[in-house]
Amino acid sequence: MLASGHLANYLLLLLKGLAITLELSLGSLVLGSLGGIVFGAMRSSSTRALNTIALVYIEAVRSIPFVILLFFVFFALPLALDLDIPPYPAAIAALSVHCSAYMAEVVRSGIEAIPKGQWEAAASLGLPYYRIMRHIVLPQALRVMIPPTIGVYVSTIKESSLASIIGFVELLGQGMAIREANALRGSADVLVAVAFGYFVICFSLSQVGRYFEHRTTRELRPATEPTMRAIGVVHGQLKPRAAP
Amino acid sequence: MYDLNLRVLVPYLPVLGWGAVRTLEISVLAILLSFPLGLAGALMRVADNRVARAIATGYVETVRNIPLLVVLYILFLVLPLYGIRINSLTAGVLGLAINSTAYTIEIVRAGFAAIPAGQYEAARSLGLHRLQMLRLVIVPQVFRIVLPTLGNQIVSVVLGSAQASIIGVGELTYQTQSIGSSTFRYFELFTIAALFYIACVQLISLLWRLLTGRSAHAPLGT
Repeated sequence: MLASGHLANYLLLLLKGLAITLELSLGSLVLGSLGGIVFGAMRSSSTRALNTIALVYIEAVRSIPFVILLFFVFFALPLALDLDIPPYPAAIAALSVHCSAYMAEVVRSGIEAIPKGQWEAAASLGLPYYRIMRHIVLPQALRVMIPPTIGVYVSTIKESSLASIIGFVELLGQGMAIREANALRGSADVLVAVAFGYFVICFSLSQVGRYFEHRTTRELRPATEPTMRAIGVVHGQLKPRAAP
Repeated sequence: MYDLNLRVLVPYLPVLGWGAVRTLEISVLAILLSFPLGLAGALMRVADNRVARAIATGYVETVRNIPLLVVLYILFLVLPLYGIRINSLTAGVLGLAINSTAYTIEIVRAGFAAIPAGQYEAARSLGLHRLQMLRLVIVPQVFRIVLPTLGNQIVSVVLGSAQASIIGVGELTYQTQSIGSSTFRYFELFTIAALFYIACVQLISLLWRLLTGRSAHAPLGT
């Protein structure tokens, strides 16, 4: 059995790993959300070329396992481009790309969930396109988008655990390192503690999502309940790829 | 400029092919395990029994908030400490199934929630008891509602199966990486793997849409 002093040390290391996981995720979520807005807007634009580019990007990224994406950035790109990509930027880049494709779908369905009548009513008031977007469509779309966004964020945070396999020491990496240090190899503690760490982050985030979901469904019940179902919001989880 | 060299990989193609077969194999096994379990779990989630509901909810919340990789590690590294011998293939399938079951429960539960209360009342007024009501009236409708979404779940199992490579299941991602480490043709290899997954996922989506297209559009009992 371990002396309690050791245990405190390990706990400290795990907390540090948790902080790094949060940092890694936060960076990727910000970049990924920005990318998602760009690709989502492209996807709902009427310009064919933009639309196609966004469609191909979104479908390709969503059809590739995140492991492959990460390995591609970490192992293949450095060879192809003849440059050195350390684990941290590789992980952030891969996570951002992953997140942006899923966010693009959320943005697209958010915009599409706004009934045509809203566009028509605004246009009949003489509002130009960007003002319709800014004052009428986006404020409503954002509310519909919150729960699925949380779903994408939770899944991105979970995928960030894969950064440990390219040697980036975040929460899971820290846990595995402690295991490797032999001290706790014979017990389940470390991995269970790691699991608990992820649970705390993701569960709290899902609860925030659920709060917003209840609020939006209450406030906008007649308009949003079918649309929420149309874009596949079920308990804050995004159901991608649903064919209407 | 990087010179693409696919010829080096020709001798490795059978290995990659078998890797792809294994990818499909573990995905199919995980789905075959998780769909019935997901239905059972969803029935527990909507049950009147408080304990059943709590167990199902606890399971769903726990599994959905823990990365698949951590689940795989726990199965593969921690279970043996308690004398449960488990090989990587079993751990991989089991991990994928555990993960997929949680999501399937949520999908099916949402299907139950979408059934209008009138359906229950009508079934009851016909004198059906609970089991008959579920079997004859409710569950068939739930199936129609959830079928399109279950296609997404199949896709996400196939995508998740790549993580089984990390605990040593010899599927496509594993073979890609191991061939890469001896040939250093990572770029070509990961491109091939990516194309395989894209083709696979798009094919599944297409087939599923064709297969369930009718039921997806069928009107719900009103």
